Amino acid sequence: MTHPDIDVLAEFRAGLITGRRGARITAHLADCDRCTGLGDQLAGVSVLLASVPAPAMPDRVAQRLDSVLAAEAARRDNAERAEGDGASESPAPRRPDGHRGFRLLSLRVLAPVAAVVVLAAGGYGLSRLVGPASQTTASSAAGSAARAATPAAAGNAKSAGRANVPAAGPARITPGIVVVTSTTNLSRARLPQQVRAALLVSPAPGRRQAATAQLRGCVLGLIGNHPLQLVESVRFEGRPATLVVARAGATDTAWIAAQDCSATNRHVLASTSLPSGISGP
Amino acid sequence: MPDESWPADQELLRRHVAGDAEAFGELFRRHRDRLWAVALRTLCDPEEAADALQDAMVSAFRRAGDFRGESAVTTWLHRIVVNASLDRLRRRAARPAMSAGDEEAFEALVAQDGDPARTSDTRLDVNAALRLLPPQQRAALVVVDMLGFSVADAAVILDTSPGTVKSRCARARARLLPHLAHLQGNRTDSESVSPAQGGET
Repeated sequence: MTHPDIDVLAEFRAGLITGRRGARITAHLADCDRCTGLGDQLAGVSVLLASVPAPAMPDRVAQRLDSVLAAEAARRDNAERAEGDGASESPAPRRPDGHRGFRLLSLRVLAPVAAVVVLAAGGYGLSRLVGPASQTTASSAAGSAARAATPAAAGNAKSAGRANVPAAGPARITPGIVVVTSTTNLSRARLPQQVRAALLVSPAPGRRQAATAQLRGCVLGLIGNHPLQLVESVRFEGRPATLVVARAGATDTAWIAAQDCSATNRHVLASTSLPSGISGP
Repeated sequence: MPDESWPADQELLRRHVAGDAEAFGELFRRHRDRLWAVALRTLCDPEEAADALQDAMVSAFRRAGDFRGESAVTTWLHRIVVNASLDRLRRRAARPAMSAGDEEAFEALVAQDGDPARTSDTRLDVNAALRLLPPQQRAALVVVDMLGFSVADAAVILDTSPGTVKSRCARARARLLPHLAHLQGNRTDSESVSPAQGGET
Protein backbone atom coordinates (compact mmCIF):
# COMPACT_ATOMS: atom_id res chain seq x y z
CA MET A 1 0.00 0.00 0.00
CA THR A 2 1.23 3.50 -0.76
CA HIS A 3 1.41 5.92 2.14
CA PRO A 4 -1.95 7.50 2.82
CA ASP A 5 -2.36 11.16 2.14
CA ILE A 6 -1.88 13.31 5.25
CA ASP A 7 -5.51 14.47 5.01
CA VAL A 8 -6.53 10.84 5.08
CA LEU A 9 -4.35 10.20 8.10
CA ALA A 10 -5.90 13.17 9.86
CA GLU A 11 -9.41 12.01 9.06
CA PHE A 12 -8.55 8.52 10.18
CA ARG A 13 -7.31 9.87 13.48
CA ALA A 14 -10.54 11.87 13.84
CA GLY A 15 -12.53 8.66 13.53
CA LEU A 16 -13.96 9.57 10.16
CA ILE A 17 -12.58 6.59 8.27
CA THR A 18 -13.88 3.21 9.35
CA GLY A 19 -14.80 -0.11 7.82
CA ARG A 20 -12.57 -1.79 5.27
CA ARG A 21 -10.74 1.41 4.40
CA GLY A 22 -10.04 2.07 8.05
CA ALA A 23 -8.76 -1.44 8.52
CA ARG A 24 -6.31 -0.99 5.64
CA ILE A 25 -4.94 2.17 7.22
CA THR A 26 -4.64 0.45 10.58
CA ALA A 27 -2.67 -2.33 8.93
CA HIS A 28 -0.45 0.12 7.12
CA LEU A 29 0.31 2.06 10.29
CA ALA A 30 1.39 -1.12 12.02
CA ASP A 31 4.17 -1.49 9.47
CA CYS A 32 5.06 2.09 8.61
CA ASP A 33 7.10 4.20 11.01
CA ARG A 34 6.84 7.19 8.73
CA CYS A 35 3.07 7.31 8.79
CA THR A 36 2.94 6.49 12.49
CA GLY A 37 5.26 9.44 13.06
CA LEU A 38 3.06 11.69 10.97
CA GLY A 39 0.06 10.57 12.98
CA ASP A 40 1.86 11.48 16.18
CA GLN A 41 2.71 14.85 14.74
CA LEU A 42 -0.92 15.44 13.87
CA ALA A 43 -1.80 14.75 17.48
CA GLY A 44 1.01 17.12 18.37
CA VAL A 45 -0.65 19.91 16.40
CA SER A 46 -3.69 19.69 18.66
CA VAL A 47 -1.51 19.61 21.77
CA LEU A 48 0.42 22.62 20.55
CA LEU A 49 -2.72 24.60 19.73
CA ALA A 50 -4.20 23.81 23.12
CA SER A 51 -1.04 25.09 24.79
CA VAL A 52 -1.31 28.59 23.33
CA PRO A 53 -2.93 30.76 25.95
CA ALA A 54 -5.97 32.75 24.93
CA PRO A 55 -4.98 36.37 24.39
CA ALA A 56 -6.50 38.72 26.93
CA MET A 57 -8.90 41.22 25.46
CA PRO A 58 -7.06 44.53 25.02
CA ASP A 59 -8.22 47.24 27.42
CA ARG A 60 -9.42 49.52 24.67
CA VAL A 61 -11.64 46.77 23.25
CA ALA A 62 -12.98 45.93 26.70
CA GLN A 63 -13.77 49.59 27.33
CA ARG A 64 -15.48 49.96 24.01
CA LEU A 65 -17.65 46.92 24.57
CA ASP A 66 -18.47 47.97 28.12
CA SER A 67 -19.69 51.31 26.79
CA VAL A 68 -21.69 49.68 24.04
CA LEU A 69 -23.39 47.32 26.47
CA ALA A 70 -24.02 50.11 28.96
CA ALA A 71 -25.62 52.12 26.18
CA GLU A 72 -27.74 49.12 25.22
CA ALA A 73 -28.87 48.72 28.81
CA ALA A 74 -29.73 52.40 29.05
CA ARG A 75 -31.63 52.30 25.78
CA ARG A 76 -33.60 49.25 26.86
CA ASP A 77 -34.41 50.74 30.22
CA ASN A 78 -35.63 53.88 28.53
CA ALA A 79 -37.77 51.94 26.11
CA GLU A 80 -39.33 49.91 28.92
CA ARG A 81 -40.08 53.07 30.80
CA ALA A 82 -41.70 54.62 27.78
CA GLU A 83 -44.00 51.64 27.44
CA GLY A 84 -45.42 52.35 30.84
CA ASP A 85 -45.68 50.19 33.93
CA GLY A 86 -49.19 48.92 33.31
CA ALA A 87 -48.33 47.36 29.99
CA SER A 88 -45.36 45.45 31.31
CA GLU A 89 -47.15 44.22 34.40
CA SER A 90 -50.22 42.70 32.78
CA PRO A 91 -48.82 39.88 30.65
CA ALA A 92 -48.31 37.31 33.35
CA PRO A 93 -45.29 36.32 35.37
CA ARG A 94 -42.46 36.68 32.92
CA ARG A 95 -40.61 38.51 35.59
CA PRO A 96 -39.68 36.13 38.39
CA ASP A 97 -40.61 36.91 41.97
CA GLY A 98 -37.08 37.56 43.09
CA HIS A 99 -36.60 40.10 40.41
CA ARG A 100 -39.88 41.81 41.07
CA GLY A 101 -38.62 42.35 44.57
CA PHE A 102 -35.42 43.74 43.20
CA ARG A 103 -37.23 46.27 41.07
CA LEU A 104 -39.49 47.36 43.88
CA LEU A 105 -36.54 47.70 46.17
CA SER A 106 -34.67 49.79 43.67
CA LEU A 107 -37.60 52.18 43.33
CA ARG A 108 -38.01 52.41 47.05
CA VAL A 109 -34.38 53.19 47.59
CA LEU A 110 -34.21 55.66 44.77
CA ALA A 111 -36.28 58.35 46.41
CA PRO A 112 -34.27 58.60 49.64
CA VAL A 113 -31.09 58.63 47.63
CA ALA A 114 -32.26 61.61 45.68
CA ALA A 115 -33.12 63.37 48.89
CA VAL A 116 -29.73 62.65 50.38
CA VAL A 117 -27.99 64.02 47.34
CA VAL A 118 -29.93 67.24 47.53
CA LEU A 119 -29.20 67.65 51.22
CA ALA A 120 -25.57 66.80 50.90
CA ALA A 121 -25.17 69.02 47.92
CA GLY A 122 -25.69 72.20 49.86
CA GLY A 123 -24.29 75.13 47.99
CA TYR A 124 -21.44 74.00 45.86
CA GLY A 125 -22.68 70.58 44.95
CA LEU A 126 -25.55 71.75 42.87
CA SER A 127 -23.80 71.36 39.61
CA ARG A 128 -24.07 67.66 40.29
CA LEU A 129 -27.82 67.75 40.29
CA VAL A 130 -28.60 68.61 36.76
CA GLY A 131 -31.44 66.55 35.49
CA PRO A 132 -34.36 64.87 37.17
CA ALA A 133 -37.24 67.24 37.70
CA SER A 134 -37.73 66.40 41.36
CA GLN A 135 -34.14 67.12 42.18
CA THR A 136 -34.09 70.32 40.24
CA THR A 137 -37.21 71.48 42.02
CA ALA A 138 -35.78 70.55 45.37
CA SER A 139 -32.51 72.21 44.68
CA SER A 140 -34.11 75.48 43.73
CA ALA A 141 -35.18 75.67 47.35
CA ALA A 142 -31.64 75.20 48.47
CA GLY A 143 -30.80 78.84 48.24
CA SER A 144 -30.19 81.58 45.80
CA ALA A 145 -26.47 81.53 46.33
CA ALA A 146 -26.34 77.99 45.11
CA ARG A 147 -28.49 78.79 42.12
CA ALA A 148 -26.27 81.65 41.23
CA ALA A 149 -23.28 79.40 41.40
CA THR A 150 -24.54 77.12 38.69
CA PRO A 151 -26.77 78.98 36.30
CA ALA A 152 -25.45 77.09 33.34
CA ALA A 153 -26.15 73.77 34.98
CA ALA A 154 -29.69 74.79 35.79
CA GLY A 155 -30.19 75.76 32.18
CA ASN A 156 -28.93 72.40 31.16
CA ALA A 157 -31.41 70.72 33.44
CA LYS A 158 -34.22 72.34 31.57
CA SER A 159 -33.01 71.33 28.16
CA ALA A 160 -31.36 67.99 28.72
CA GLY A 161 -33.45 66.73 31.60
CA ARG A 162 -36.60 66.11 29.66
CA ALA A 163 -37.57 63.18 27.58
CA ASN A 164 -39.11 65.44 24.97
CA VAL A 165 -35.78 66.77 23.86
CA PRO A 166 -35.67 66.00 20.17
CA ALA A 167 -33.42 63.19 19.06
CA ALA A 168 -31.16 65.67 17.38
CA GLY A 169 -30.99 67.58 20.64
CA PRO A 170 -27.26 67.55 21.13
CA ALA A 171 -26.79 69.23 17.80
CA ARG A 172 -29.39 71.93 18.34
CA ILE A 173 -29.03 72.91 21.94
CA THR A 174 -25.85 74.33 23.27
CA PRO A 175 -26.32 74.33 27.00
CA GLY A 176 -23.51 75.35 29.23
CA ILE A 177 -22.01 72.41 31.08
CA VAL A 178 -20.33 73.00 34.37
CA VAL A 179 -17.31 70.94 35.15
CA VAL A 180 -16.43 70.21 38.74
CA THR A 181 -12.72 69.99 39.26
CA SER A 182 -11.64 67.41 41.76
CA THR A 183 -8.53 65.55 42.74
CA THR A 184 -10.26 62.20 42.75
CA ASN A 185 -8.24 59.41 41.21
CA LEU A 186 -10.60 56.75 39.91
CA SER A 187 -9.56 53.20 39.25
CA ARG A 188 -11.02 50.73 36.85
CA ALA A 189 -11.44 48.06 39.49
CA ARG A 190 -13.47 50.24 41.83
CA LEU A 191 -15.20 52.42 39.30
CA PRO A 192 -18.83 51.62 40.19
CA GLN A 193 -18.26 52.25 43.88
CA GLN A 194 -16.26 55.40 43.23
CA VAL A 195 -18.84 56.81 40.85
CA ARG A 196 -21.58 56.10 43.35
CA ALA A 197 -19.55 57.85 46.00
CA ALA A 198 -18.97 60.81 43.70
CA LEU A 199 -22.71 61.09 43.13
CA LEU A 200 -23.63 60.77 46.77
CA VAL A 201 -20.95 62.65 48.63
CA SER A 202 -20.56 66.35 48.26
CA PRO A 203 -17.29 67.20 46.60
CA ALA A 204 -14.36 68.86 48.19
CA PRO A 205 -14.66 72.54 47.45
CA GLY A 206 -13.05 72.88 44.09
CA ARG A 207 -13.13 75.02 41.06
CA ARG A 208 -16.05 74.91 38.70
CA GLN A 209 -15.76 76.08 35.20
CA ALA A 210 -17.64 75.96 31.98
CA ALA A 211 -16.84 73.05 29.74
CA THR A 212 -14.77 73.73 26.67
CA ALA A 213 -16.50 73.30 23.35
CA GLN A 214 -14.60 70.07 22.82
CA LEU A 215 -15.68 68.64 26.15
CA ARG A 216 -19.25 69.76 25.60
CA GLY A 217 -19.29 67.91 22.31
CA CYS A 218 -17.89 64.86 24.01
CA VAL A 219 -20.43 64.96 26.85
CA LEU A 220 -23.44 65.56 24.64
CA GLY A 221 -22.32 62.79 22.35
CA LEU A 222 -22.07 60.38 25.23
CA ILE A 223 -25.29 61.16 27.07
CA GLY A 224 -27.60 61.48 24.09
CA ASN A 225 -30.83 62.88 25.47
CA HIS A 226 -30.43 61.43 28.94
CA PRO A 227 -30.32 63.81 31.89
CA LEU A 228 -26.81 64.77 32.80
CA GLN A 229 -25.91 64.06 36.39
CA LEU A 230 -22.33 65.06 36.72
CA VAL A 231 -19.31 66.25 34.82
CA GLU A 232 -16.20 66.08 36.90
CA SER A 233 -12.61 66.61 35.96
CA VAL A 234 -10.80 63.71 37.59
CA ARG A 235 -7.84 61.46 37.24
CA PHE A 236 -8.36 57.93 36.01
CA GLU A 237 -5.63 55.44 36.76
CA GLY A 238 -3.46 58.49 37.32
CA ARG A 239 -4.21 60.19 34.01
CA PRO A 240 -6.33 63.32 33.55
CA ALA A 241 -9.82 62.41 32.38
CA THR A 242 -13.43 63.48 32.72
CA LEU A 243 -16.12 61.61 34.59
CA VAL A 244 -19.50 61.97 32.91
CA VAL A 245 -22.65 60.56 34.50
CA ALA A 246 -26.10 60.49 32.95
CA ARG A 247 -29.29 58.96 34.23
CA ALA A 248 -31.42 56.62 32.19
CA GLY A 249 -34.43 55.59 34.19
CA ALA A 250 -33.25 54.02 37.41
CA THR A 251 -29.77 53.46 36.03
CA ASP A 252 -26.88 55.85 36.12
CA THR A 253 -24.36 55.40 33.35
CA ALA A 254 -20.88 56.73 33.91
CA TRP A 255 -18.17 57.22 31.33
CA ILE A 256 -14.54 58.08 31.80
CA ALA A 257 -13.79 60.28 28.83
CA ALA A 258 -10.21 60.63 27.71
CA GLN A 259 -8.71 64.08 27.33
CA ASP A 260 -9.08 64.01 23.59
CA CYS A 261 -12.75 63.02 23.68
CA SER A 262 -14.89 65.23 21.47
CA ALA A 263 -18.12 65.16 19.51
CA THR A 264 -16.42 63.28 16.72
CA ASN A 265 -14.02 61.20 18.79
CA ARG A 266 -15.86 59.48 21.59
CA HIS A 267 -12.76 58.30 23.30
CA VAL A 268 -13.96 56.53 26.43
CA LEU A 269 -11.46 54.90 28.75
CA ALA A 270 -14.01 53.05 30.85
CA SER A 271 -17.66 53.02 31.63
CA THR A 272 -20.01 51.50 34.09
CA SER A 273 -23.66 51.56 34.90
CA LEU A 274 -25.19 51.63 38.31
CA PRO A 275 -28.71 50.67 39.23
CA SER A 276 -29.21 53.58 41.55
CA GLY A 277 -28.55 52.68 45.14
CA ILE A 278 -28.41 48.92 44.58
CA SER A 279 -25.06 47.24 44.60
CA GLY A 280 -26.01 43.69 43.83
CA PRO A 281 -28.44 40.82 44.20
CA MET B 1 -18.36 39.22 46.93
CA PRO B 2 -19.67 36.15 45.17
CA ASP B 3 -17.06 34.15 43.36
CA GLU B 4 -16.92 34.04 39.59
CA SER B 5 -19.13 31.05 39.14
CA TRP B 6 -22.04 32.56 41.01
CA PRO B 7 -24.60 33.37 39.92
CA ALA B 8 -24.66 30.82 37.12
CA ASP B 9 -24.50 32.06 33.55
CA GLN B 10 -28.07 31.02 32.95
CA GLU B 11 -29.20 32.93 36.02
CA LEU B 12 -27.41 36.04 34.78
CA LEU B 13 -29.08 35.70 31.42
CA ARG B 14 -32.46 35.25 33.10
CA ARG B 15 -31.90 38.41 35.13
CA HIS B 16 -30.92 40.25 32.00
CA VAL B 17 -34.10 39.19 30.23
CA ALA B 18 -36.05 40.20 33.33
CA GLY B 19 -34.64 43.71 33.12
CA ASP B 20 -31.50 43.70 35.25
CA ALA B 21 -29.29 46.34 33.66
CA GLU B 22 -26.02 44.86 34.86
CA ALA B 23 -26.50 41.15 34.34
CA PHE B 24 -25.49 41.00 30.70
CA GLY B 25 -22.40 43.09 31.27
CA GLU B 26 -21.35 40.74 34.01
CA LEU B 27 -21.95 37.74 31.80
CA PHE B 28 -19.86 39.30 29.08
CA ARG B 29 -17.01 40.22 31.41
CA ARG B 30 -16.96 36.66 32.65
CA HIS B 31 -16.34 35.22 29.19
CA ARG B 32 -14.84 38.08 27.28
CA ASP B 33 -11.30 36.77 26.95
CA ARG B 34 -12.46 33.53 25.36
CA LEU B 35 -14.96 35.34 23.17
CA TRP B 36 -12.22 37.72 22.13
CA ALA B 37 -9.92 34.80 21.39
CA VAL B 38 -12.41 33.11 19.10
CA ALA B 39 -13.13 36.33 17.20
CA LEU B 40 -9.47 37.31 16.92
CA ARG B 41 -8.30 33.90 15.79
CA THR B 42 -11.14 33.45 13.35
CA LEU B 43 -10.65 36.87 11.79
CA CYS B 44 -6.87 37.23 12.28
CA ASP B 45 -7.34 40.98 12.62
CA PRO B 46 -7.84 42.85 15.90
CA GLU B 47 -9.94 45.66 14.42
CA GLU B 48 -12.23 43.25 12.62
CA ALA B 49 -12.40 41.09 15.71
CA ALA B 50 -13.46 44.04 17.86
CA ASP B 51 -16.15 44.98 15.36
CA ALA B 52 -17.40 41.42 15.11
CA LEU B 53 -17.48 41.02 18.86
CA GLN B 54 -19.41 44.25 19.22
CA ASP B 55 -21.97 43.16 16.63
CA ALA B 56 -22.24 39.82 18.34
CA MET B 57 -22.71 41.17 21.85
CA VAL B 58 -25.31 43.72 20.81
CA SER B 59 -27.13 40.94 19.03
CA ALA B 60 -26.89 38.63 22.03
CA PHE B 61 -28.03 41.43 24.34
CA ARG B 62 -31.16 41.97 22.25
CA ARG B 63 -31.88 38.35 21.45
CA ALA B 64 -31.28 36.93 24.91
CA GLY B 65 -35.00 36.21 25.24
CA ASP B 66 -34.64 33.68 22.40
CA PHE B 67 -32.17 31.59 24.35
CA ARG B 68 -33.90 28.31 25.15
CA GLY B 69 -31.30 26.63 27.28
CA GLU B 70 -30.67 23.86 24.77
CA SER B 71 -26.96 24.51 25.11
CA ALA B 72 -24.82 26.19 27.72
CA VAL B 73 -24.96 29.98 27.74
CA THR B 74 -21.28 30.13 26.86
CA THR B 75 -21.86 27.87 23.84
CA TRP B 76 -24.65 30.17 22.72
CA LEU B 77 -22.42 33.24 23.11
CA HIS B 78 -19.60 31.61 21.17
CA ARG B 79 -22.00 30.66 18.41
CA ILE B 80 -23.08 34.27 17.99
CA VAL B 81 -19.47 35.46 17.95
CA VAL B 82 -18.39 32.86 15.41
CA ASN B 83 -21.35 33.75 13.21
CA ALA B 84 -20.51 37.43 13.34
CA SER B 85 -16.87 36.66 12.58
CA LEU B 86 -17.62 34.43 9.62
CA ASP B 87 -20.10 37.02 8.32
CA ARG B 88 -17.31 39.56 8.29
CA LEU B 89 -14.99 37.18 6.51
CA ARG B 90 -17.62 36.58 3.85
CA ARG B 91 -18.11 40.29 3.39
CA ARG B 92 -14.43 40.93 2.90
CA ALA B 93 -14.01 37.86 0.68
CA ALA B 94 -13.09 40.18 -2.17
CA ARG B 95 -9.70 40.56 -0.56
CA PRO B 96 -7.04 38.34 -2.05
CA ALA B 97 -6.93 35.09 -0.16
CA MET B 98 -3.77 33.49 1.10
CA SER B 99 -2.78 30.26 -0.52
CA ALA B 100 -1.32 27.59 1.65
CA GLY B 101 1.86 27.30 -0.34
CA ASP B 102 2.70 30.96 -0.36
CA GLU B 103 5.80 30.82 1.77
CA GLU B 104 6.82 34.37 1.07
CA ALA B 105 3.54 35.79 2.27
CA PHE B 106 3.68 33.44 5.21
CA GLU B 107 7.05 34.80 6.27
CA ALA B 108 5.79 38.35 5.86
CA LEU B 109 2.84 37.60 8.07
CA VAL B 110 5.06 36.10 10.72
CA ALA B 111 7.14 39.25 10.64
CA GLN B 112 4.25 41.68 10.96
CA ASP B 113 2.02 39.87 13.38
CA GLY B 114 1.72 41.31 16.84
CA ASP B 115 4.29 42.67 19.20
CA PRO B 116 7.26 40.29 19.36
CA ALA B 117 8.32 41.56 22.75
CA ARG B 118 5.07 40.48 24.32
CA THR B 119 4.22 37.49 22.23
CA SER B 120 5.88 34.15 22.34
CA ASP B 121 7.33 32.69 19.19
CA THR B 122 4.86 29.88 19.44
CA ARG B 123 1.90 32.19 19.48
CA LEU B 124 3.30 34.18 16.57
CA ASP B 125 3.81 31.06 14.54
CA VAL B 126 0.42 29.67 15.44
CA ASN B 127 -1.34 32.92 14.58
CA ALA B 128 0.44 33.14 11.27
CA ALA B 129 -0.29 29.54 10.45
CA LEU B 130 -3.97 29.95 11.29
CA ARG B 131 -4.22 32.58 8.59
CA LEU B 132 -3.39 29.95 6.03
CA LEU B 133 -6.58 28.04 6.71
CA PRO B 134 -9.92 28.54 5.01
CA PRO B 135 -12.25 30.34 7.44
CA GLN B 136 -14.52 27.40 8.19
CA GLN B 137 -11.60 25.12 8.98
CA ARG B 138 -9.96 27.82 11.04
CA ALA B 139 -13.09 28.43 13.10
CA ALA B 140 -13.50 24.71 13.76
CA LEU B 141 -9.90 24.28 14.81
CA VAL B 142 -9.99 27.34 17.07
CA VAL B 143 -13.14 26.16 18.80
CA VAL B 144 -12.10 22.53 19.25
CA ASP B 145 -8.32 22.47 19.59
CA MET B 146 -7.63 25.93 20.99
CA LEU B 147 -10.67 26.59 23.16
CA GLY B 148 -11.29 22.97 24.07
CA PHE B 149 -14.97 22.67 23.20
CA SER B 150 -16.28 19.17 22.63
CA VAL B 151 -17.10 18.22 19.06
CA ALA B 152 -20.79 18.23 20.00
CA ASP B 153 -20.63 21.78 21.39
CA ALA B 154 -18.49 22.89 18.47
CA ALA B 155 -21.17 21.60 16.12
CA VAL B 156 -23.67 23.87 17.87
CA ILE B 157 -21.30 26.82 17.77
CA LEU B 158 -20.49 26.29 14.09
CA ASP B 159 -24.05 25.39 13.17
CA THR B 160 -23.09 22.17 11.46
CA SER B 161 -22.89 18.45 12.15
CA PRO B 162 -20.33 16.79 14.44
CA GLY B 163 -18.98 14.91 11.42
CA THR B 164 -18.33 18.13 9.58
CA VAL B 165 -16.60 19.57 12.63
CA LYS B 166 -14.32 16.54 12.78
CA SER B 167 -13.61 16.74 9.08
CA ARG B 168 -12.79 20.44 9.14
CA CYS B 169 -10.53 19.98 12.14
CA ALA B 170 -8.76 17.02 10.56
CA ARG B 171 -8.05 18.88 7.34
CA ALA B 172 -6.95 21.95 9.24
CA ARG B 173 -4.49 19.93 11.34
CA ALA B 174 -3.09 18.30 8.24
CA ARG B 175 -2.67 21.65 6.62
CA LEU B 176 -0.98 23.23 9.61
CA LEU B 177 1.37 20.36 10.29
CA PRO B 178 4.17 21.48 7.95
CA HIS B 179 4.05 24.95 9.48
CA LEU B 180 3.96 23.92 13.11
CA ALA B 181 5.98 20.72 13.20
CA HIS B 182 9.13 22.63 14.14
CA LEU B 183 7.44 23.71 17.38
CA GLN B 184 6.64 20.23 18.50
CA GLY B 185 10.03 19.39 19.92
CA ASN B 186 12.40 16.57 19.20
CA ARG B 187 10.00 14.16 17.57
CA THR B 188 10.18 16.16 14.40
CA ASP B 189 12.54 16.04 11.50
CA SER B 190 11.88 18.18 8.52
CA GLU B 191 11.88 15.31 6.07
CA SER B 192 9.03 13.50 7.74
CA VAL B 193 6.60 16.38 7.48
CA SER B 194 6.62 16.83 3.75
CA PRO B 195 3.16 15.86 2.58
CA ALA B 196 2.76 12.36 1.27
CA GLN B 197 2.03 11.72 -2.32
CA GLY B 198 -1.48 12.49 -3.40
CA GLY B 199 -2.76 16.04 -3.41
CA GLU B 200 -5.41 17.66 -1.32
CA THR B 201 -8.92 17.53 -2.54
